Amino acid sequence: MSAQAPPRTELLLQLADDELVLGWRDSEWTGIAPFLEEDVAFSSIAQTEIGHARAFYELAAAELDTTADELAFDRRPEEYRCAPLVELNLVHDWAKSVARRWLYETADAIRVDSLKASDWPELAGLAAKIEREEAYHALHAGMWHDRLTRSTARERFATAVDELWPYALGLVEGDQRRILCEAAGREDVPAVERGAHVEDWPALWEEMTMVRRTVPGGSW
Amino acid sequence: MAPRTEQEFKKHVQAGGQVETNDWMPDEYRAKLIKFIEMHGNSELMGVLPEREWILRAPTLQRKLALTAKVQDEVGHAQLIYRVVEDLGKPREQSLEDLIAGKSKFHNVFHYPTKTWGDVGVIAWLVDAAAIISQKALLKCSYAPYARIMKKICWEESFHILHGRDVVLALVTGTEEQRELVQEALDRWWAPLMMFHGNPIPAEDDPMVEWRIKSQANEDARQQFLDGYVPQIWELGLTEPDPELRKDEQTGVWHYTEPDYTELKHVVTGHGPRTAERLELRRISREETAWVRDVVLADAA
Repeated sequence: MSAQAPPRTELLLQLADDELVLGWRDSEWTGIAPFLEEDVAFSSIAQTEIGHARAFYELAAAELDTTADELAFDRRPEEYRCAPLVELNLVHDWAKSVARRWLYETADAIRVDSLKASDWPELAGLAAKIEREEAYHALHAGMWHDRLTRSTARERFATAVDELWPYALGLVEGDQRRILCEAAGREDVPAVERGAHVEDWPALWEEMTMVRRTVPGGSW
Repeated sequence: MAPRTEQEFKKHVQAGGQVETNDWMPDEYRAKLIKFIEMHGNSELMGVLPEREWILRAPTLQRKLALTAKVQDEVGHAQLIYRVVEDLGKPREQSLEDLIAGKSKFHNVFHYPTKTWGDVGVIAWLVDAAAIISQKALLKCSYAPYARIMKKICWEESFHILHGRDVVLALVTGTEEQRELVQEALDRWWAPLMMFHGNPIPAEDDPMVEWRIKSQANEDARQQFLDGYVPQIWELGLTEPDPELRKDEQTGVWHYTEPDYTELKHVVTGHGPRTAERLELRRISREETAWVRDVVLADAA
């Protein structure tokens, strides 16, 4: 597979990799979330994100003559296009995990909204479908944002959001950054851009591909 | 006429009568219910941990989705079951504290390690199959709220079995190496599976049967498991590691090497190969997220 995909496929891979890796990270809370109810919620959100990743990969796979699974698992770690925000290993830190969910949903809503106007009908249709599902993620993230912001843990949560904010800006580009600043009520700052990977990423890649790599080309 | 004495109550439940949360019940019945149902809740919750390790390693998008959904179901079952325990008088937080402190038990199979992707298939297929046999029998439990949630649980568990069988099928039809993953996992899981339904005490000596909390004898459950699944294991060209295992065609009874019930006792009393490690993970994650519960509960107050 080419490292330089055509621009519209490049965009799809960014979207897919973001959803895939965030889904993988959110699934790390399965079994250890602060409440059983949240455990179920995080698992459910992770599944939806991965479902979205699969849909984006399928569109890209048709362009690149490959499969969704090959795109999701069989690239080298440096070939993934995900934003550093989703790569961060935040498990055990609920404040940061929830801050990431809220920032991600806020940015993703802007991005998905613009995709609905895509002149690629399959992508526009997919964006409309995804928007309906992301609405529930946004409700969940907004609930935690409000709850923690009003609570005695407000400083802990505010610190988490501050720390992740430059990463959140890296999810979108151009004018969408301005819209994100408005939506989040925050100042523009230098973003942690896509392209470089954070140090948490190789370990996650190792783990998510370890079974599959034992039998290259195998059926699972 | 609602039962008012222990004797009337026993007669009522033994005749197939059911009991609701607000009905009068003997203290002994309530205590036995709490202990039994709490262990079930603990098992669902601890059962998450062996499979959880493989959620990050699932080798395709479809497997990732199916495994995450399956584990999510188990957490959901724990939530439902602890709710029943709570209505009987023991708060969920107390159940979780007792679990971590080693004061309450969970099923033997969740004390063992998961070593390969083969375990993921074998657990979802055969451990869930063994579990559903016990759970189906609980549909007739004398405590009605527990029997009711068992309907949903059995329905979901039957999907897990299909998922597990599908994982196993893909491996046995794959490369020699993949097939070996399943066989090796089955070899390791066989003994814990044979112990799963407990030692073969006669139903009339089982206090859980006396109150009709359970209505199935341990050995009946094990026979049902063998009858349902050994032929399927053979059909896939797999073997179980017990040379004594055979069905007596005349009596329909399966014969097998007596499982090591000392090991079962040792494991469920907190000395399994992964007991300490898994309870420690529960303890640490509870400690690290305690502030979240404090914040939310303060909010609710």
